[in-house]
Amino acid sequence: MTYATVPNAHAIPSAPSARIADVIRRFGRESAYLLLGFPIALASFVVVVTGLSVGAGLLITVVGLPILAGTIFAARGFAQMERMQVRGLLGRDVPVIRYRRADPDAGWFRKSIAPLADAQSWLDVLHAFVGFITATVAWSFALTWWTGALAGLSFPAWGWAIPNGPDQKDLPELLGFGHSYLVKVLFNVGVGVFFAITLPLVIRAFTLLRTGLAQLLLFSRSETQQQVDELVVGRTAARSAEASALRRLERDIHDGPQQRLVRLSMDLGRARKQAGPENPQLQATLDAALGQTKDTLEELRALSRGIAPPVLTDRGLRAALEELAARSIIPIDVDIDLPAARLPHHVETAVYFVASEALTNVAKHSGATQCVLTVALIGNDVAVRVSDDGRGGAHLSKGKGLLGLQDRVRAADGVLNLSSPDGGPTVIEAEVPCGS
Amino acid sequence: MRIVIADDSLLLREGLQLLLTEAGHLVVAAVGDGPAFIEAVLTERPDVALVDVRMPPSHSDEGLRAAVEVRGQWPDAKVMVLSQYVEVSYANELLATGTGGVGYLLKDRVSAIDDFLDGVERVAAGGTVLDPQVVSQLLVRRRADDPVATLTPRESEVLGLMAEGRSNASIAEALVVSDGAVEKHTQRIFAKLGLPPDDAQHRRVLAVLAYLRS
Repeated sequence: MTYATVPNAHAIPSAPSARIADVIRRFGRESAYLLLGFPIALASFVVVVTGLSVGAGLLITVVGLPILAGTIFAARGFAQMERMQVRGLLGRDVPVIRYRRADPDAGWFRKSIAPLADAQSWLDVLHAFVGFITATVAWSFALTWWTGALAGLSFPAWGWAIPNGPDQKDLPELLGFGHSYLVKVLFNVGVGVFFAITLPLVIRAFTLLRTGLAQLLLFSRSETQQQVDELVVGRTAARSAEASALRRLERDIHDGPQQRLVRLSMDLGRARKQAGPENPQLQATLDAALGQTKDTLEELRALSRGIAPPVLTDRGLRAALEELAARSIIPIDVDIDLPAARLPHHVETAVYFVASEALTNVAKHSGATQCVLTVALIGNDVAVRVSDDGRGGAHLSKGKGLLGLQDRVRAADGVLNLSSPDGGPTVIEAEVPCGS
Repeated sequence: MRIVIADDSLLLREGLQLLLTEAGHLVVAAVGDGPAFIEAVLTERPDVALVDVRMPPSHSDEGLRAAVEVRGQWPDAKVMVLSQYVEVSYANELLATGTGGVGYLLKDRVSAIDDFLDGVERVAAGGTVLDPQVVSQLLVRRRADDPVATLTPRESEVLGLMAEGRSNASIAEALVVSDGAVEKHTQRIFAKLGLPPDDAQHRRVLAVLAYLRS
């Protein structure tokens, strides 16, 4: 018989001795944080106040801005120091700060003033001011409590050495406890005990005050930023997953039910031929079955086009748009300026459906005799524009097509604009970014 | 006729093979992707080849590109492209590969077996066969001052059938009229559109299509 080895019980953190050690270690760290906080905060305050005053005062000369920038760098340095300490105290993951960087191709001047445009940098500067106040207060309390506790408790060891002239009156004596040495010792030790007992609470409270301020000024913006980043990543993933899933669905319909229906219609056709003219009733039945099959295929095709048009899947946006133009009932001028490389799927789909829905609208409602489709990649955005010379009066709230289109474009981070005064002309424009 | 077929779906390869065999044709090769189709056609030199558009390895417009490739290497190849979708741009690319001997049909059309077999034979004979959907898309898109608008309904019908690649006899059969009546219609259509009358069937189709696409 075998037994699983139980790991050393002392390694389990909840063991009482380990917990006490943890508490003591943390208490030590927090005390050091509060006691060292004042000199650091003082240095930070002096540097930042001086730098800001000098920099602001010299702003009208060329050197003002670099001095300000240098001050901000200094504030960042002190803020980073504070962050490192807070990170150690909190013992949990805190976001990494990303300051805005200058364009690597920018000139030295632009680079040197880049920190001035960074919001977190100014929060760091603010922390140099406010943090100085909290650090000073926290330091005073921590120092007082530590001194009170140590001095009071150790009084019996050195109290006898204090010269005690006849004119000198101690606090216990003033309070009317008498002036014997024993009273003095008891009183001082009592005070020491009070400080010692409350010391952990005081240390904890002021640590919380300072780390709270640090979280507010030094971390919260980055935390928000990080959440935004995570959301963006998540949504990008969801979007591309959706676009791929739709294309896969279209292929699955093509390879599955559509193929089977085509085969079915072939077999029905053969059966009809085999039935021969001498069997009109059977022929009529088979004709009806063939008709149903064809209608089903037609519906499936329409469905597929709505999900992801095959030509878009197979050949990309340019070919799909050209096909749209070729199918247009209204005479159309087409101007497509797109790179040869494929664009992100969701962008292609969004742009395609804008063009497709807009052209359907032109054909159905505008009464136009001419329309123009323009698609171009401008910077990082694909701009699509459909204009016609029709009677106008189109509205996003009218008809579900255009409204659905707006949602589609918005989901791709794009914007859709419609201008359609009564009497025309109608212009539908959309811009869809190709992602970061 | 000796025929090569290419479709990645075994179901459809079988279906086509049965149908063609029953009609007395010989399927000399049945393959499932683009490169295999090109190889089979160039080695077997069939009377006509039927090819699906969406096939491996690319699973996109593989069959169409294979058809263009085959016609580039062997200009006399007769190729009928079958697809679940017909796109006007694909038809244009196919027509641009040379003079006649091409077809482009929706797979659904196969079920009208006699019409389908007739189309295959016309392609094998160097004719042009286009799906009515392609033709209707070409016909529907007209300018206001278009001479096509001056055609009578019957003449429009005949124009559509001409664009599909049908001969006068075939048009007459479809409309249940005499060959002579069709002849008269076609002459009037050519006159209205200002096209040179031409008896060579493929040239006639090209002229009509060129006119419709302009």
